[in-house]
This record gives sequence, structure tokens and C-alpha cells, in this order.
Amino acid sequence: MKVLKRVYMALILILLYAPIATLIVLSFNSSRSRAKWGGFTLTWYRALFQNEDIMNAFYTTLMIALIAALLATLIGTLAAVGIQSMRQRTRTIFMGVTNIPMLNSEIVMGVSLMLLFIIGRIELGFGTILIAHITFNIPYVILSVMPKLRQTERSVYEAALDLGATPFYAFRKTILSDIMPGIVSGFFLAFTMSLDDFVVTYFTKGPGVDTLSTKIYSEVRKGIKPEIYSLSTLLFLMIFLLLIAVNMASVKESKKEIEKNAAHLAKYGRKRIFTRRFVFGRVLPGVLCAALAVGWFSSRTGKTFAAQNQVVVYNWGEYIDPDVIDIFEEETGIRVIYEEFETNEIMYPKIKSGAVAYDCVCPSDYMIQKMIDNDLLAKLDWDKIPNIKNIGDMYMKTSEQFDPGNLYSVPYCWGTIGILYNKKMVSEPVDSWKILWDSRYKDSILMQDSVRDAFAVALKYLGYSANSTNIQELTEAQQLLMTQKPLVQAYVVDQVRDKMIGNEAALGVIYSGEAIYTQKENPDLEYVVPKEGSNVWIDSWVVPKNAKHKENAEKFLNFLCRPDIALKNFEYITYSTPNEAARELIEDPAIRNSQIAFPDESVLERCETYSYLGSDVEEIYNRLWNGVKSS
Amino acid sequence: MKNKRKWLAAPYGVWAAGFIIIPLLMIVYYAFTSQESGQFTLSNFSSVFTATTMKALGLALVLAVLSTLICLVLAYPLAMILAGAQVTSSAFIVLIFVLPMWMNFLLRTFAWQTLLENNGVINSILQMLGLPALHLINTPAAIVFGMVYNFLPFMILPIYNVLIKIDRDVIEAARDLGAGAWMTFRRITLPLSVSGIISGVTMVFVPSLTTFVISDLLGGGKILLIGNLIEQEFKQLNDWNVGSAMSMILMVFIVISMMVSSKYDRDGEGALF
Amino acid sequence: MKNKLIDLVGITKSFDDVTVLDDLNLYIRENEFLTLLGPSGCGKTTTLRIIGGFEQPDSGKVLFGGADITALPPNRRQLNTVFQRYALFPHMTIEENIAFGLKIRKKSQTYIRDKIRYALKLVNLEGYETRLPSALSGGQQQRVAIARAIVNEPKVLLLDEPLGALDLKLRQDMQYELMRLKNELGITFVYVTHDQEEALTMSDTIVVMNQGYIQQIGTPEDIYNEPQNAFVADFIGDSNILDGIMIEDRLVEILGTKFACVDTGFGKMRPVDVVLRPEDLELVPPEKGIVKGRVTNLIFKGVHYEMEVMVNGTALIVHGTRMAAVGDEVGIFVDPFNIQIMNKPESEDEEAVSVEE
Repeated sequence: MKVLKRVYMALILILLYAPIATLIVLSFNSSRSRAKWGGFTLTWYRALFQNEDIMNAFYTTLMIALIAALLATLIGTLAAVGIQSMRQRTRTIFMGVTNIPMLNSEIVMGVSLMLLFIIGRIELGFGTILIAHITFNIPYVILSVMPKLRQTERSVYEAALDLGATPFYAFRKTILSDIMPGIVSGFFLAFTMSLDDFVVTYFTKGPGVDTLSTKIYSEVRKGIKPEIYSLSTLLFLMIFLLLIAVNMASVKESKKEIEKNAAHLAKYGRKRIFTRRFVFGRVLPGVLCAALAVGWFSSRTGKTFAAQNQVVVYNWGEYIDPDVIDIFEEETGIRVIYEEFETNEIMYPKIKSGAVAYDCVCPSDYMIQKMIDNDLLAKLDWDKIPNIKNIGDMYMKTSEQFDPGNLYSVPYCWGTIGILYNKKMVSEPVDSWKILWDSRYKDSILMQDSVRDAFAVALKYLGYSANSTNIQELTEAQQLLMTQKPLVQAYVVDQVRDKMIGNEAALGVIYSGEAIYTQKENPDLEYVVPKEGSNVWIDSWVVPKNAKHKENAEKFLNFLCRPDIALKNFEYITYSTPNEAARELIEDPAIRNSQIAFPDESVLERCETYSYLGSDVEEIYNRLWNGVKSS
Repeated sequence: MKNKRKWLAAPYGVWAAGFIIIPLLMIVYYAFTSQESGQFTLSNFSSVFTATTMKALGLALVLAVLSTLICLVLAYPLAMILAGAQVTSSAFIVLIFVLPMWMNFLLRTFAWQTLLENNGVINSILQMLGLPALHLINTPAAIVFGMVYNFLPFMILPIYNVLIKIDRDVIEAARDLGAGAWMTFRRITLPLSVSGIISGVTMVFVPSLTTFVISDLLGGGKILLIGNLIEQEFKQLNDWNVGSAMSMILMVFIVISMMVSSKYDRDGEGALF
Repeated sequence: MKNKLIDLVGITKSFDDVTVLDDLNLYIRENEFLTLLGPSGCGKTTTLRIIGGFEQPDSGKVLFGGADITALPPNRRQLNTVFQRYALFPHMTIEENIAFGLKIRKKSQTYIRDKIRYALKLVNLEGYETRLPSALSGGQQQRVAIARAIVNEPKVLLLDEPLGALDLKLRQDMQYELMRLKNELGITFVYVTHDQEEALTMSDTIVVMNQGYIQQIGTPEDIYNEPQNAFVADFIGDSNILDGIMIEDRLVEILGTKFACVDTGFGKMRPVDVVLRPEDLELVPPEKGIVKGRVTNLIFKGVHYEMEVMVNGTALIVHGTRMAAVGDEVGIFVDPFNIQIMNKPESEDEEAVSVEE
């Protein structure tokens, strides 16, 4: 029986700690891909401390957790004392309200707070996350203080008053010291909850502010940086070692207690010895000190620039080589304020509301069209951007599909959508979207989890335009996607890359920019743009109408078009550059002449860019796509 | 004195009104108004009662019930073992289950991808043992697995906390009056731990029902739960009205579970601590 | 002499290296009211729990009617326990609490109903059937606990300080109630208490325990009048325990004076402990006393006065119905029958026994 119990407990603990062990192992994996063990390395630990992004997210996380937990502890403890002194009915109401955040789902809470902030015109950012965290933390504090309050003897407090103490002094010396364990454990819980929260933060955060959770979530879609594994490992091990130390110490302590309680033991067998005091008395301060120390180290000293001389850049995540920004700042003395967005759809309302005046933004083709239609963009002064000559003509021509007359946009990156396949698993030649409906590859097909891309595949296969607005055609495409669904292993975004590298699937729909990287990691992979045609996309820089530093913006864009800079970016982000001069500088002929990175015009001729279809059609696309996903 | 002291709860009262009550009313407001005109409408709900949404809601309910049951079945014996074990400190037990939270929730769930994949760790082990590989990832089973994994501690802790509070004398009294081990469990331990079970069930069921992260990470985007739809409405489609209507439907289930749990928990305290 | 019902043979039990019981031997006769009496930590509760089956002795045997039940779990023993803190099932009504044991024995509905009515009548709680334990006072809960135990008609009822949590008046009422029950039901009672008055009032036999050892077994009268050692004397009632020297048979020297007594067989010029009960000391005019002393303190106790008399540098407690004022010189007289002589403990172990908890 005893053995059975042990085994059972061990199994549950394995379940709980298996993923943690996995992550620790991954933090030492020299391969960037999670699917492959590339040997032991400490690179990621070294890289971690140089990765400002991650360290900033970490620091933000700690600051929010700490401040939120402290304020929640203060408000919550006061509230608990107050509630305790209330009459039954008021108390019931208060406790009912307190239970709402505990039992309400995180998503409803996050969404409701987001609505409040947006309607109240409170800009989403650090402050809103903090408010949200305090809100869900307070109940934890109240609920851990209340039971302790109930145990306190009122007579002790009254005795203190009787002995001449002032009410405040008496409160501090009697009640407060009695409920201290509750307060401390409430704080600890609040801190942990805050640290681990994702959903509420996700809804209440603004662009540019990231906690570890939201950082990880956006990276899960793009591929997680191994530095995150090493950070988590460090964090976890720190706490773990602290706990072990505490436990050892408390075992010693409890031995003493056992001797003292020998008489008591006779009655109850063995006494549970209470070491919470110890845990909270020593572990917690230790953890906090460590956390603050790390935070202090990671907080960087900002470079000093004249406030006016700056350019506010709003770009996709991971879409520029950080060195490029440094070089620009050094050469021009203009400070770059850099923010990132995850999707065109998240970026658009920010620009439209004009809440923040961005100087350059990098949307995709169809979104640029939408912005032009809504009169949000400023015309560029090409005289200020002489390096535009480095951009290939065919890209300028393609741009006219969404920017007629080339008035607003500077092409930055481009690519196609195609099929990445594993030559070991697919022996036949791949040249058509048709293979994605071949039942022999059931559960070996990866589709893009994005409306337009998924529909583009189906529409093109059917011979329609990827910009179709015809309900008949769209419904047909939806039906096609539904018949494909049983064959699909997963709908993912950038995970196609890792999964293909790890031989998890035979076929995947992927952007050409990712294909180059995957081939490097796994030579069995091949990329093809099917004969039916596909999407060609261009992400271009534009300057919003309300930009405050238009001249700086143009300087920045001109800088980005410089061949050496464009090359640097290409090497970092691996997406094809439209910069012909930069392409000439690529040393490796295999890449310079790669049909994947730089397909010839015959390929581009069968491809079309997405155009903006209007919000009604967008809605139709979305509903149809949801229909596919939930079928 | 007593009357003055209750005002200490005033800051919290203001806070709760501003950041708990009003936001919920916002959802109600949005759910009943139209996006274009701001007029009262029920049309948002007609978008909710579509096949797609109902299917997502139904699936979410099924998976949430399943994961809650599995959590209960797994957690109860464990809580009993823990409560019966002569562990030096109950705080330590709590810490064992809180500790994993220091490794980010998303990362932990994400790590299960690595473990559950077709060529993942679990299948490699099965292969080594000469067993057939399991197709786990991107199935509803994987999502249930993720829910159980993430929410199990919220089932264990309340049950454990109720079990250690049961007077040992009461158990001995039952034995003394002739009840065997099973009978003692069924007639005494189980009924006395109902409040812990209810509170555990609520704490697992609600997050399971409403999650969008777990289905996102372990379902391969093939499985849409109601949480995913709400997330889409707010984050991608920017249709707050329909999103609010969906949230209200969810709140119905949440309110039901809150009412059930408050019926069994007259102190109004939950049993997490 | 009635039969031995329960026989504890060589019971030893320790918790975490602390020996609680050491080679304890004790038998309990049928229909006897036996009380285990001693300070807390003396092992009395552990003894009870071993009889009840809640603890396993490290060594030794428990015999019940001659059969070895040492390894038998509590639910298969023919005895029931009344717990110190009642241990009523909080989620069941009074009725359900009482019916618990009967339902497990699969008694018929009518039988159970009759039994509940009978038991509630016995403990004066008619009309409380459908209440929850939390709605009852401590004394009522205790009576339910007793009712719950006795409906099963156990051969033996084990009671672990059942009256400890009650106030004085209720405690006295319950004492009579228990004695009445014992006489009506003919059950054997094993009763644990640290309250000597309770033990003296109710018991047929008292077992005085200290530090895991039995100090004395006897009737209440024996225990009170003839304590076998200083611990028992001190624990039972108030006592003056004095160092004395047995000069010869029937003559002992205490307080620097020779006293006549009735004890023999201690040898000559042997140091002994001498017990003088306060109520056995009589205040007389100074010239009529065996020794003289001066009153140093006086307390009115209702039935009697308690006086402290200093005799040759030793303080004696004297109970009497007649008052002497503080500062008065008085004589003290003792009847030789009331002088209790005991051997001094010989080893340090025995010394330890007399040390108070």
C-alpha cells in the first residue's frame, strides 16, 4: 500500500515536472530548433544577458508582479480587516464581489478590463497591466488574510487597549502580528499569480510593453528563442534551490520542536510542524532581493539624445537587425524610438486613432492600400530618398498594385507563399497545390493559420483570384478547405519551420523567407511555388500623415535602402530583399542566385499581391475561416 | 471602534467597483448594442447562436467536463495521500504544486508539444519499449491533457486543505462504530470533503471552459473552443459587440458554477488556503 | 470475583523514541467502572487508544475475553469510544449520528428507530433528532456522543476525558448520569481522566498512572487513604508529605517530634515519607497538641477553613471547621490511624516518578 502511494505520487510529480525538465534540457541544446538535439551548449545563457528584449520583458514582468503584489497586499489586508468588522449582510456582498475575480474566467476579466480602458481612454500599457494585476491579486490576499483574522482573539487586542496602548499600536502589536503569516502568504501568492499570468496581461497590454508571458506567446508563433529557456531555467532553479535550503533548515528546526513537544506527541502520534513562518520569513525576501538585483542589472541606461531629434519606428517583431538601428543612431545622431506589432490588424487601429504619432511604419501590401484609402499616409519626397534607385524595378512595378504611382511606399522585404516539402517523405515531384489534398499525406500537412493565406491556397488551386470577393468562389474555397482539414496535422504560423526541420511533417505551406533558413537546418527540405500561382507579398515602409519627424523618417528610409544596410538586414531576417544592389553584395552564390530568395519573373508572373477587400468582405473571410476551423 | 474599522475596506470597495463591477457591466452594455449605431440590439446574439459558435461552445463544455473529471479522479487520491502523509509542513506541500508556476505557464504548455509530438519524447519512449506510437498532438485528447496538467494543482489544493481539516477523532469514531475503511471513506471523509471538491471543480472547470491558449498550443489550430472565438473577436476582428455577447454566454456558465460553489461554501472563502 | 474481560499484557509503546508506556500490565473486569487517572502525558490516553484499536502496541498483547485482539482494527472490536472532543459527524443530524453504527450493522429500520428513541431518552435529549451537532451545546453534544456509543450495546465503553470541556455544574450532572447508565446497562466502563475528584466519585477501580507506569491500582478508598507512594498521595487530594524517620514499629519522628502510629515492618531508624491529610490534622489548644505551631495564613473555603500552620520551620496545611486567627499559637493533634507511612523511593527512576509533570 505504501509503495503504491509512493508510485502514485511519483507519477503525478513526473507529470507536473516533465515539461520543466524538458525546458531545462532545451536550454542547453545548441540547435535553435526545439525538434533537434544539437549537443550541449551554454551559448543561450551567455546570449540571454545580451538580449535586451528578453531582459526588458523580464524586468517588466518582475516590476509588475512586485508592485501589483505589494499594492494588492496593502489594499487587500486593509479590506480584510474592514470586512471582518462589517455586519453580516455587507460582508456577504463584499465577499461575493471578492469571489468574482477568483471564479470568473481570465478571458472575461481581461476582455472586460480592456473595454473599460479603451472606453475610459486610458492608454494601454504598463499602467493598465498593473491595474489589471492588482485587481486579480487582491482577492488572493483577502482570502489568505481572512482565516487568520478569524483566528485572532479579540480579547488580546482589548487587553492591549486595557494596558494603555493606542488603538493603532494595539492593532499593530496584536492583530497585525497574528495575521502576518496570512499577509505574507497572500503576497507570495499574488506575486506568483502575477508572474505567471498571461491571459489578462494579453488583453490589457499595449504595444511596446511586454511581459515574459506575452513575449513568449508572440514567439510561440514565430519560434521561441532559446534564451527564454535559459531565463526560465535560471528563474526556476533559483526558486528551487531556495526552497531546498529552507526545507533543510526547517527540518532541523522541527527536530527541536519535536523534543519540546514530546508530551503532545504521545497523544497525536506526530505533530505537523509549521514552517510557513520560515518559508515566508526567509525565502520570500531572498527571492525578492534576487529578483530586484536581476532587474537592476538588466535595466539599461538609456542613450541620451536631444528630445526633438528622433524618429518613431513601428515595425513587425524581429524584422530588423538591431545593429542597423545602432549604426543609424551613431551616424545621424537621431534617436530611434522602436516599437513592434504582431499583425497588420493590430497595427492599423493604432495608426488610425492617431494616439501615437509614428514616423515610419512597415505594413503589408493590402494594408497599405487600406491606409491609402483611408487617407492615413503622407506622400514621400523621393528627392530625400535617393537610395530608392537600389530597389529593383519589378518590385516597384508590383507595388503599383496597391500603391498606384509609387507615391507612398518604400519596399522593404518581400516573398512568396509556397510549399515546403521533405524529399525523403515525398518522392513524387511537387508542383501543384493539389498535393495538399492527397490523402496519402494525412497528418503530415501543415497549413498556415491565417485567413488570407489559407484562402489564397484554396482559391489559387481552384483557379480563382486570391483577392476574390465572389461569395460563390469563397464558399467553394471554404468547402475545399473543409475537405482538407482531416488531412491537416496542424494550422500554425511560424511553427511550420520547426516542425519541418524536425521531420514532424512532410508538407507545409510557408513563406519563402523561412524556406532558406529551414534548408540550412535540414537539407532534405525543398521549396516550391506551385504552378497554379500564389501570393507575392511586399512589406513596405510608409510615413503616416501625422508623423512629427517626416524628414528624419525619410533619412531613416534612405538609410535602409543603402546596399550594405539592406544586406545586413537580409542576413538577419532572411526574408528576400528587393534591394538589387544589396543582392549583388551577397557572397554565397548559392543564396545570391537562389530561386527561393530571388525567383525569376516567370514565378512572379503567376503570383498576385493581396489587395484590401473592405471590412465587409474581411468579415466574410473570417466567418468562413472560423467555419473551417470549427468543422 | 468596530464601526470605524470597517472603513478600511473602502479603498477596496472603490477598486472593486471600478475594476470588477463596471468592466462586467461594460460587457453587458456592448453585448446589447450594435457596433455601428450604438443602439440596443439583440443581433450580436444571433452571431453567437450560429453553428460555428455553438460547436465551439459545445466542444469546450465537453472538454472542460472531461478534464475536470480527470483532475478530480487524479487529485483526490493524491490529496488523501498527502493529507495522510506525515509531512513536516503543509506549506511545503503547497509549494511543490505552486513551484511549477515559476516557470511560465505558456512555456510549460509549449513544452508538452515537444513531449507529445509524433516524433516527440513520449513516442520515442514508447518506441523504445516496443509499443505502438500514439497520435497525441493536435487532438482533443492533447488539449484535455494540457488542461489537466495546468489545472491539476487547483484541484489538489482545495481537497487537500479540506482533508487536513477533518478531525482525526471523527474518522476514528466512524471506525470505532464499526465502519470499515471503505465505509468510513464513503460516509465520512467524502461527504466532509464536498466543499473542497466543489471548490476544486469550479477552479478547474471555469478555466478549462474558457481557455484559448491551451487549445492554441496543443490543438494545432485545428480545434476552436469558445475561448478562441472570443479572443479572435477582440484581438483580430475587432468586433467587441459580438465578442461581448459571447463572453456573456460564458458568464452564464461561470455564474452557475459560482452559485453552486457558494452554496457549499457558506463562509464565502473558497478552500484554496 | 467477576471475570477478567480485558487483559493488557506487557504493553510497550513509544512515539519517536519517547517511551509512553513501558511493560504495562492491567486487567479490567466485567461490569467494572475502571478509571485511568494521571497527569497529562502519563500514558492513560495511549492505553485507552490501544484498547480501542487506534494504536498498535510495540510489544505486548491485548486480550478480550481471553482472545488476542491486538491486531484487530477498531471496527471489529466489541467496544465503543466516547471521544474527548465528542467527534460527532458534523454533516449528519443527531439521529443520523446515533444510527451510524446500527446502519453499518444492517439493523432493521424499526429497530434503529426504537434504539434512537431509547438512547435519546436515556441521555435526556428527546426532540433533538433532526438537529445538526453544531446547533447543540457542549454538554448536549457529549450526551449525543454517549448515546451514539451505547446504542451499539458494546461490551465495553471507552471514555476519553469526556467531561473535560464541560463546566462544573454540568460535569457533576453528567457524572451521575454516567453512573446511572453504567448501572442500567451493565456495561464495562474504562474512563480516562486527570480529575481526581471525578475518578473518586464514579470509579469501582482507579488506576493511577505516571510517566508510563502504573503507580497504584485500587478502590477509591484505598487510593485515597492508603497511597502507596508520594506521587499518589500528592496527586489524590491535598496532602502534607513530610520527611520522617521510622524509629521503630509504631513510632515515627516528624517535625522534630515523635508520633505514635500504627505501621510496622519498616525496620528501625529508617528514613520514610509520611503523609498527613489536612483534614486529619486537628487544631487544639497549644498545650493539648503533639506539636505546637503558629497560624500564618487563613482561607475560607466554604465547607471548611484552610489554614497554614508553621511547625518548626515546616508549613502544614490544615483543614478545619473552626477558625484560628493568623498569628495564633495552636497545638496540632493527629490520630495514629491517620498517619500514613511510605518507603522513600530507592532509585532515581522512582524519584522521577514523584516529580510533578
